[in-house]
Amino acid sequence: MRTSVIKAYMQKEFKDLVRTKMIYLVYLLPTMILLLFGYGIRLEVTGARTIIIDQDQSRFSKELIDKCTHSKYFNTKVLLISPNEGLHRIKQAKTDILLIIPPHFEHDLLHGQKSELAAFIDGAFPLRATTMQGYVEGVILHAAKELAQRFGLKHPLITLNHRALFNQAMRDENAIVPGLIGLIMLVAPALLSALLIVKEKEMGTIFNFYASPVKKSEFLIAKLTPVFLLHSINIFILFLWATWWFGVPFRGSFGLYWITSELYLLISLSIGLLVSIITNRQIVAVVLTLIITIIPGFLYSGMLMPISSMVGESYIEAHIFPVMYYNHIVYDTFLIGQGLESMKNILYLAILAGYGTLLLIVGSLLLKKELG
Amino acid sequence: MRSFWTVMAKEFLSFLRSWGLVAVVLYSFTLDVYIAGQGIEVKPRNVRVGYVIEGGGVLPQKILSHLHAPEFQKPKWFASQKELQKAIFNKEILVGLIFGHDFEKNIDSHKGAKLDVLLDATAASQAYITLVYLQNTLLRLENIHIPLKLKIHKLFNQNADSHMFISFAEMLSVITMIGIILTAAVFVKEKEDGTWDIMLLMPVDSRLVILAKAASQIAIVMGGILICVGFVLLGVFHVPINGSFLAFMLLSLLYAFTIAGIGLFIAAASHTIMEVAQLSVLIMMPLIFLSGAWTPIYSMHPILQKLSVISPLRYYIEGSESIFFRGTGWSDLYPYFMGVSVLGILTFWYGYRKIGRLF
Amino acid sequence: MALLEVDSVHIAYKRTIAVKEASFTADAGQIVGFIGADGAGKSSLFHAIAGVLHFRGEIRYKGYPYHSPKEAEPIKPYIGLMPQGLGLVLYPQLSVEEHLEFFANIRDIPRDKAFMKYKKKLLHMAGLAEFPDRLAKNLSGGMKQKLSLICTLIHKPKLLILDEPTTGVDPLSRQELWEILDQNRKEERSLTLFSTAYMGEAAKMDKIHLMDEGEIIAQGTAGELIKSARPYTYQATRCKECITFNGRTYSLKPLSAPHAEPTLESLFFINALKKGKIPPPVEVLPRETPIDIPEVVMEAKGLTKRFGDFVADDHIDMQLRRGEILGLLGANGAGKTTFIKMLLGLYPIDEGELYLLGRKIQSPKDRQELKRYIGYMSQNFALYKDLTIRENLFYFANMHQLPLNKASERIERLAKSLGFWDYMDSFPKDVPMGINQRFSLAAAILHEPVVLFLDEPTSGVDTIARAQFWQLLHKLKHIWGISILVTTHYMSEAQYCDRVVVLRRGKKIADASPKELERRFGTKDFEEVFLRLYEEQE
Repeated sequence: MRTSVIKAYMQKEFKDLVRTKMIYLVYLLPTMILLLFGYGIRLEVTGARTIIIDQDQSRFSKELIDKCTHSKYFNTKVLLISPNEGLHRIKQAKTDILLIIPPHFEHDLLHGQKSELAAFIDGAFPLRATTMQGYVEGVILHAAKELAQRFGLKHPLITLNHRALFNQAMRDENAIVPGLIGLIMLVAPALLSALLIVKEKEMGTIFNFYASPVKKSEFLIAKLTPVFLLHSINIFILFLWATWWFGVPFRGSFGLYWITSELYLLISLSIGLLVSIITNRQIVAVVLTLIITIIPGFLYSGMLMPISSMVGESYIEAHIFPVMYYNHIVYDTFLIGQGLESMKNILYLAILAGYGTLLLIVGSLLLKKELG
Repeated sequence: MRSFWTVMAKEFLSFLRSWGLVAVVLYSFTLDVYIAGQGIEVKPRNVRVGYVIEGGGVLPQKILSHLHAPEFQKPKWFASQKELQKAIFNKEILVGLIFGHDFEKNIDSHKGAKLDVLLDATAASQAYITLVYLQNTLLRLENIHIPLKLKIHKLFNQNADSHMFISFAEMLSVITMIGIILTAAVFVKEKEDGTWDIMLLMPVDSRLVILAKAASQIAIVMGGILICVGFVLLGVFHVPINGSFLAFMLLSLLYAFTIAGIGLFIAAASHTIMEVAQLSVLIMMPLIFLSGAWTPIYSMHPILQKLSVISPLRYYIEGSESIFFRGTGWSDLYPYFMGVSVLGILTFWYGYRKIGRLF
Repeated sequence: MALLEVDSVHIAYKRTIAVKEASFTADAGQIVGFIGADGAGKSSLFHAIAGVLHFRGEIRYKGYPYHSPKEAEPIKPYIGLMPQGLGLVLYPQLSVEEHLEFFANIRDIPRDKAFMKYKKKLLHMAGLAEFPDRLAKNLSGGMKQKLSLICTLIHKPKLLILDEPTTGVDPLSRQELWEILDQNRKEERSLTLFSTAYMGEAAKMDKIHLMDEGEIIAQGTAGELIKSARPYTYQATRCKECITFNGRTYSLKPLSAPHAEPTLESLFFINALKKGKIPPPVEVLPRETPIDIPEVVMEAKGLTKRFGDFVADDHIDMQLRRGEILGLLGANGAGKTTFIKMLLGLYPIDEGELYLLGRKIQSPKDRQELKRYIGYMSQNFALYKDLTIRENLFYFANMHQLPLNKASERIERLAKSLGFWDYMDSFPKDVPMGINQRFSLAAAILHEPVVLFLDEPTSGVDTIARAQFWQLLHKLKHIWGISILVTTHYMSEAQYCDRVVVLRRGKKIADASPKELERRFGTKDFEEVFLRLYEEQE
């Protein structure tokens, strides 16, 4: 291992990255994805456009409407239109929820007769629809309980006393942004390293490596180090965006977050490296890298669906990709803060280390100093 | 006109013969959409519940028996609160129920009991939905007759089947990606292969060549849409078509033109396929995320909400959603057609001007 | 013991055999040449020797035997490889100075005084001392090759392997490259393996190997090889089972005609005869639509093109007459390509006038009109590689609005007469270069133009195909009365032109028939004529 050789190759890689302006992509892409997704993905629905048709116009109905208007979840309008007209508005995507308070609402309630409220929800966006359904049910349930008490009916015996761990405010940012770091740190470094070798193959400069006494290990170290160092800065940038901009709490040890991220970065680079070694065209390398990183990075990140809720195939697949292990530790450092007290974190850290080593070994075995 | 068809035919042949590209396009329009639709599930499903019973009695078991498939996995017993909490920390359990010492006693004496629920709120949506579900279960269990009944109708997609929607949204994203890259590549390939000059030397109006090249790729995208809708959306996920299929195809065609315009612009700015890939990613990401495909527009940041007005994908998605799920009629679709058309004409004109300068 | 011994090296790819049982030896201080067309196996053989390609057989360097790239690893410090392709080993984003530093670093050369001196000397020899900070992407083709060469020389290799270092390089840069090599040979006593398609360079080599279809068909000094060809070379005559080109007829059977002095190229013709591969004759049928062509077909008056401050072409006058083959020569960056692009109507003209068939070309509409009368065949025969030859031709016919039945008739006629009818349904990449060349020509003349532009039409094509191509151009000129403008780096080909125009730094420095120029400088070697012309301007 000769440091001067490694240094020479590294300098060349640095200059190349800077002069081809790839460096912009290195720092632009992760931040862009974080901001877009961080703002773009909202699981909570606020201000759902709601139309209430009050066919009763009574004190009770007004109270009910009041409850809705004061909720941040609804953006309520009370209109005097026909139910059909209201449905039509949903069709035109002008409104999301239509709540119809029937005539004789107050009268029926006062006389102990059953009254039926009808709610229509735009179900075209299922996630949104299910969430909105929950809100509507919650509000009405609450109102119903109050009414029940007022009329001296049976008091509900069990009350739920829920405590949301880690994310008391149930903020979407807290749930999503740490997961995004796992996605970004998988996609962006892999995309860059996927080009490292295939670019030289396509241009012909790979001959400088083939025909010279440069060792494979020297070549690999020289190729990976610049990208590794450049992307290491992203670990900090993304951390700052998450905590400072999105206000995600950070409860664990920064050291653990840092070490794990560097390890994960190495895995991502090795994935790109493998792609770079087995492909011959840059465009193929790019497409292949995107396919094998984005979808698992998204699906198995635990962002949209908890891994524990997966069954069968997808449960196994989730354990094959590295993103699950990394995200577990990242979520821990941000929201939980158990750190190395948890055996699971230690185990996952070990798995990540093993993963990275394995990929690097496979990569260096596949790399040949000759024309393919 | 003959030159137009000749260029079209040539581009089709070239496309079909580059099997790698055909494979990628087919993959994107079928398997990719399928995987996306199949993989993401946002309803509480298979939620892992853990519980601790500190007292005794039969009521806790009765409550637990209501938590069953498909929403819940079989609840798991823990000896102490501490162990339960640890399991939640390790993400093995999403919801923890703690039945306190005097849970049953309190109920028997009509004092009212509290059930402690621990939620892993890093999965906020699942947690919230689970909470609502639990609440309803308890009310039903207690057999409380509240005179007020709420009847909820989820229009257009009664079961809130997320496979349907996600696969649909993924298709629209794929259309955007493939449309941009194919159109840009068909021009840049000539630059890379050195046939650009030969193309310029044909005694044919450059407008015709540009239009024919763009049209050929639009046609390929339209083919992809047909395959995707036919096999994946209708075939696998049983997405309903409540509106006019013709309206959807027309809207898609307009959108494809918009996308081709962006492709033309990228083609004018790039020299290699590599640059095309980079530029496309940079343009595509904001386009897709400002469209409302992944999150409703009105819950976005106010600035993003304003910006989304200029995303053609926004009109396309809302329009297509209306056609497929809401069954909106022609007359109510005009805002979407207007939006896509206006933005389409603008982008295509701009892209055309840019690439035209190279001719 | 020889420095390098190559013992029955055999290289095969999936289906094709690249090198068949090649054996040779070479000594230190020699320059050993390998001459042959694209695909003759030169590159594969070089790659095997450099230890970057798998092979069967044995290679010994100073008695150290190796059979695979892995075994060759210990000798890599002594090898310098410069693969084929303009500036292939250079990084576009690095400067001249940075390249030398990089190449010295990966060879782990200590930065002592001797190194600094050597580096300076190399830069000087390559004429790059003036711009150490220029990025490789901004260098001209010739400069790129010189930089590649000195980068390969920086660690003073004992075995220097140069794969077509002079292809695509103008005669001036070529001469400078040879000077560097000569000096290196004298001072370092290294062995140089050198492949080339230029026969003219063979004279400077100590030993030559002629390669054809993976075989070394002949080896020896230039003198020995020419001598071996003498018995089969006659003055031009008509006969069966023989090949006639450029005033010589080659035959294996004795002919009654008097013998003629052969050249190295003659060996390829004789080899073809020995293998029984006599090329089928090519014909040219008359134009389908006769056309009256005026005496002067194209005229440029003071054509000028500027890119910012840089004047690419400076007031160039040129006349192209009916039925004339005009050679456009010049060093890399002399302004040839820009000039042709103006004539083609691809670049707007900054100053000056252009007339085609007596009409002045002004507006973009005129330029559009111009295209109907022009045929263009670009470098590397850039045609659509995803279309078969037939589809390519129909594409061009359609674009030129030829009626369909007329088009298919004409395509068939051209394909048969130019001898590629058997390949009509193949893809361009699957057929020999010579076939590609002729089918590209067919595509360029499908619409029966009056002017034909050929941009380096013969690079990479083997000797015989090249000879055939020039015969074809002459027939086309006589039968169609077409005017041809051709650029080439093979100075020997200037002799086949009726007139040559030489450009230097955007200015015209000569416009005369090759004979006149040869007389003026008193030499038959046009390469020398060219160099002398350039020297005059210094």
